[in-house]
Amino acid sequence: MNPHELSRRLFLRQSAGVAGATWAKTILPALAAISQAACTAKEEQAPFLVLQADEAIEFEAIAARIIPTTDTPGAREAGVIYFFDQSLGSFNAPMLPMLQNGLSELQASIESGSKFSELSESEQDALLEANQNTGFFGLVRMLTFAGFFGMSEYGGNKDGIGVKLLGVEPHAHAYSYPFGYYDAEYMKENPNG
Amino acid sequence: MADTPVFNTREEVDFVVIGSGAAGGILAKELSTAGFSTVVLEQGKYRKAAEFTHDEIKNFLNGELLGKGPRESGMTFRADESQEAKAGQRDPAMYARTVGGSSVVFSAHFWRMRPVDFNERSLLGAIEGTNFVDWPIAYDELEPYYSKVEWDMGVSGAPGHSDPPRSRPFPMPPLTINSSGAIMAKGAKALGLHADVQAHAILSQVHNGRAPCTNCGFCSFYGCEIGAKSSSLAAMIPLAEASGHCEIRPESTVFRIVKNAAGRVTEVLYYDKDGNEQGQKARAVVLSANGAESPRLLLDSDNLANSSGYVGRNLMFNSHASVEGVFEHQLNEYKGVQATRVVMDFYDSDPARGFYGGGGIDARGGLFLTPLMYALAASPPAEKNWGAAYKDLIAHSFSRQMGMFVSATSLPMDRNNITLSPNKTDKWGRPSIVVTYKDHPDDIANASFLQGRAQELLDAGGAARTWSTPAGPSDFGVHLLGTCRMGDDPSTSVIDRNHRAHDVPNLFICDGSSLVTSTRGQPTMTIMALAFRAADRIKAAASAGEI
Repeated sequence: MNPHELSRRLFLRQSAGVAGATWAKTILPALAAISQAACTAKEEQAPFLVLQADEAIEFEAIAARIIPTTDTPGAREAGVIYFFDQSLGSFNAPMLPMLQNGLSELQASIESGSKFSELSESEQDALLEANQNTGFFGLVRMLTFAGFFGMSEYGGNKDGIGVKLLGVEPHAHAYSYPFGYYDAEYMKENPNG
Repeated sequence: MADTPVFNTREEVDFVVIGSGAAGGILAKELSTAGFSTVVLEQGKYRKAAEFTHDEIKNFLNGELLGKGPRESGMTFRADESQEAKAGQRDPAMYARTVGGSSVVFSAHFWRMRPVDFNERSLLGAIEGTNFVDWPIAYDELEPYYSKVEWDMGVSGAPGHSDPPRSRPFPMPPLTINSSGAIMAKGAKALGLHADVQAHAILSQVHNGRAPCTNCGFCSFYGCEIGAKSSSLAAMIPLAEASGHCEIRPESTVFRIVKNAAGRVTEVLYYDKDGNEQGQKARAVVLSANGAESPRLLLDSDNLANSSGYVGRNLMFNSHASVEGVFEHQLNEYKGVQATRVVMDFYDSDPARGFYGGGGIDARGGLFLTPLMYALAASPPAEKNWGAAYKDLIAHSFSRQMGMFVSATSLPMDRNNITLSPNKTDKWGRPSIVVTYKDHPDDIANASFLQGRAQELLDAGGAARTWSTPAGPSDFGVHLLGTCRMGDDPSTSVIDRNHRAHDVPNLFICDGSSLVTSTRGQPTMTIMALAFRAADRIKAAASAGEI
């Protein structure tokens, strides 16, 4: 087993408790358990490309405050961390050192010595708010949204979870009229356009 | 169909066309179908419609079509000469690197210029500190070519309330109104303005054997996956290749145009995709590389065709501004083309406003109505853009947001220009482009004025919430205009009225650089009309032995 494969297994084991707890609060627990197990089984086949397990846990914890799990799935359920890993192992490779340095600095700023992922959600939010204008946060935010809304082939947006948040299907190849409320109303009053 | 030829680089062809975009694609088609052997050198790859996707990561983050930005181009920006030119995240002169050029990724809003655009300097007088002049040609001379663009490229539309005269009707009806257009119509009616139909270089019906738009919504900065957008790639390149006289040579980056002792150009040197130096000999050269790359290539070819010193000068980006609005009900602007209605009531410059300028206001989804781009910029800039509340905002507003978008004039000035970097190079080792640009105060005043009207339109249209960023100085452009301008006076222009370089008898330049003034902010239709006209002039000269 290579180190990154180990990383990914370790990451899944350690993060399962956190993800499971948040998820179970908001979605039918049985369904959540089934889907979580299915995801885990699927993902354990593939190793991480570049992230270490401890890094992945921290980045996922930050991403989960950027797009939290609410009454709808968030960054965690969308598998955003797998987009982080895939992209940082390929086209986003130049960003990796900056992200790792930024994470170290963030951790170092926590006086209790806790890891970011070990803080309460309100503590995490306060820390991120204090850092929200940094280049590091900007990058993590960009990667989080890219992993949530980008094409699933890049590792995130699992099963289209991200795009489902929008309540519409923006990637179809054809649409017919009317498109929305206002053009439908317009056509009622102006049947000839 | 004839076989597509492959020409020997060391044997002279009739024409080398540098660039395959809005102008280059048309010139290649017109020259090759007239029987002239033509080689098109295009720096980008040869992608076809089926290769275009909705992939935001590929397109926006990885620069599939727009390039990798300054880390490959080496492009830098400064507001004026006193500053050090610096590289940012994106190219300050932005364009697509692909066969078909930026016509592949444009939004396809097609505006004719009007008679006033051609002689506005005479009508309004000089503007201090600018090179504002009349065009050497008038609307009547270009009108047949605007009609040709509509029919040969494929433009859908219907005349607006104040359109200039036209010799032929539109070849097909407009695309159906969308919700932002309906809101624009409501707002304009309440304010006593006119919501005209927006014309598009996008097919509403089968035309010239091409399929109509399916409303997939990925127009701006994307290639059309079914070829309904009337790019050079969709409308011209296939005809050029079918002529049997045209070779499209992609991944060919030109670095020099060679001139002989007699003052004529003889050969175009370029890097092939492996970085090997190649050359193509030709009887004449047509330079259509765009308003940034054409002047760069001339400057980097021993200042070719630049006795006037006007190569690279008078860069115009068009000024822009917008106002965003969220509505109670769903608009679903992710469907269909960008804008279906436009207000042209402020087209003409009005001295009573105290500044020069005019423009149009359209209603559109904007650049941020694909999911990822929207999520990155869904809120007003000052507000918190992450967390549960922001997630809720995205979920609510993605389908309920639109913008009123201002496209407007820019004045030509010496200080806004393309020059070569003294110390930076691009990935090929060529001196990289320095963009120096600071809008004329009138350009910003005009954009601000139009932004105010856009705000009124959005309010009258019933927006629940609106916001905007004040119109300010431009630090990049996608409209690259004026840098090798047309004129009768060789001391203040680079090409004559027939697009022939004043200094080089067998060099023709036709693209955004040819424009004398900026248009009101949608220049591509004019670039295409000029290309059809230039092709007629070049063919006539070639046939008469006058090249």
